[in-house]
Amino acid sequence: MAQGEPIRVMVVDDHPMWRDAVARDLTEAGYEVVATPADGAQALRVAGSARPDVVVLDLQLPDMSGVEVTQGLRAAHPGAHVLVLSASGEQQDVLDAVKAGATGYLLKSAVREEFLDAVRRTADGDAVFTPGLAALVLGEFRRLATAPAGDGAETPKLTERETEILRMVATGMSYKQIATRLVLSHRTVQNHVQNTLNRLQLHNRVELVRYAIEHGLADTDPPGTMRDGPK
Amino acid sequence: MMAGCASARVKRPRWAARSDGDRESSGGQPQGGRPQSSEPLWRALAVFRFASLGYAALLAGVLNSARYSRPGWAWAALAVMAAWTVITTVAYARPERRTPPLLSADLAVSVGLLLSTYALQYPSAMRAGVMPVTATWMAGSVLAWAIRYGSGAGAVAALILGGCDLWMYHRAVPVVLNGLVLLLLAGVIVGHLARLAAEVEAERQHAVQVEAASRERERLARDIHDSVLQVLALVQRRGAEAGGEAAEFGQMAGQLEASLRTLVGPGVGGGLSAAEPAPTSSKSADLRALLLPAQSERVTVAVPAQAVLLERGAAEELAAAVRAALDNVRRHCGGRAQAWVLVEDEPGQVTVTIRDNGPGIPGGRLAEAAASGRLGVSHSICGRLRDLGGSAVIRSVPGEGTEVELRLPRRTTVPVVAS
Repeated sequence: MAQGEPIRVMVVDDHPMWRDAVARDLTEAGYEVVATPADGAQALRVAGSARPDVVVLDLQLPDMSGVEVTQGLRAAHPGAHVLVLSASGEQQDVLDAVKAGATGYLLKSAVREEFLDAVRRTADGDAVFTPGLAALVLGEFRRLATAPAGDGAETPKLTERETEILRMVATGMSYKQIATRLVLSHRTVQNHVQNTLNRLQLHNRVELVRYAIEHGLADTDPPGTMRDGPK
Repeated sequence: MMAGCASARVKRPRWAARSDGDRESSGGQPQGGRPQSSEPLWRALAVFRFASLGYAALLAGVLNSARYSRPGWAWAALAVMAAWTVITTVAYARPERRTPPLLSADLAVSVGLLLSTYALQYPSAMRAGVMPVTATWMAGSVLAWAIRYGSGAGAVAALILGGCDLWMYHRAVPVVLNGLVLLLLAGVIVGHLARLAAEVEAERQHAVQVEAASRERERLARDIHDSVLQVLALVQRRGAEAGGEAAEFGQMAGQLEASLRTLVGPGVGGGLSAAEPAPTSSKSADLRALLLPAQSERVTVAVPAQAVLLERGAAEELAAAVRAALDNVRRHCGGRAQAWVLVEDEPGQVTVTIRDNGPGIPGGRLAEAAASGRLGVSHSICGRLRDLGGSAVIRSVPGEGTEVELRLPRRTTVPVVAS
């Protein structure tokens, strides 16, 4: 992403009207919409030539789940940050997509300003969290802490500070409010949230590799070609 | 196969195509086209036949050999029995070969061998009630009829064989009656067993189909649901841009979208992945299902991905306390304030945090209200939690809103639930 060039965005959605509306909003805001694939397979094919900086990805796609597309994109095009959108709110598939490497999540019914802000933050690589997503992530760390530990694998843990911050995000506080409350800088709060996400994603990648080895899947294939994550 | 089951056009399971069920023979076969369910019984029959063959050989050839007037022919009969056992075992191995002709032939051979005893044993032996040359082996064909066509057929075969037995041994009736009764019993019981197995298999198959169909329906519902939500979101957007009357429509659409989204959400049978269905019994309840309906434009409910299970009474009381807190927000902060509800599930306790961005409660007001007897918050929230064995903490900073933190330890003692 060279300085001065518009940010390249790929919009993946099977709903034509929605896709066009989003593309229009992005173009008006100064982004360059480089591709608008209608399904997951097309998205993975086109991503190579389109080289997007940000991928706005609908979780409900006709051929593949958004989670699989996220995995594929992260494997083949690590430079593209994924912002997942979902119409029906924060459910297991949102958590799975975030674990698979999505940078952030937003509800489809978010207003335009919120959406554009999210795209900008995703382009910078900053995590975009909704309260619901924060609650899902909190729950996931807690689940990992109580689940039986895999042999030798380190279960990722949250520090006290990170837990505190995630809880505040989950109760609707903005980073600014959190920074004021905890007497930290805005950037520090952001970093904490980012670290949380990175640890979760790293753990997920490790689990995927271990799953592949255990089940004798070819370990030369990138993680994106697997269909399921570890359960 | 999933697609086949899901489309519910397929009435029979895929492997029924080559089964006996395709031939609906007259005379009501209780066992439908589900040969797989009776396979273990056929295998048991084969084992029985070989074992009885050995026993018959032992009896006729060794223990009772003195009772036979034509021992050489007795061995010939045993050889026929052995050959027939092999033939039938091989034939019965394939479901499509278990036909009335074969079964009748089996019965005929059994009868023939049984009756041959007449020519093979001394009359004195027969009067004394010595076992016929076929011994227990002849029950094989009775069992075959029973497994294939049920108790009725088994009983008939038993009666036929028993009748021949009776005719031959009419001098030693008590012994023969024994045998007849045992045969009947075997035929009827095994026939019943076979039908039971078939019914269970059919029901299981049906349940699998129903589940596949309902999962397909759920997937479709989710698709439709998402499409509707997207369109409403679009209308909201366009309305906001266009302004004026369109903006009003947009707002209405936005409200609809918010309520529809919570209508089919986790815990209400909708979007959870199949790996984490909320297992509610009459004793326990998923707290999420009780709290998610509170979502609206102004209220956001954030929950973990797994079910948060509590005793039903405790869950309902906790949910009531949360609703009371949300009511407070609406009453004291007006319609513009927003509220967030966070549900956390730790091994030792469940925590629900309710935060709003209203004007906050001035210091001392809370204590003041409790002291002066206006118990609103005190009773409906704190009191409830105390009764449940938990705690409620209310923090408020004027200008920064209010936070209510409800903690409920997962207890081992029974809570005193206020009725």
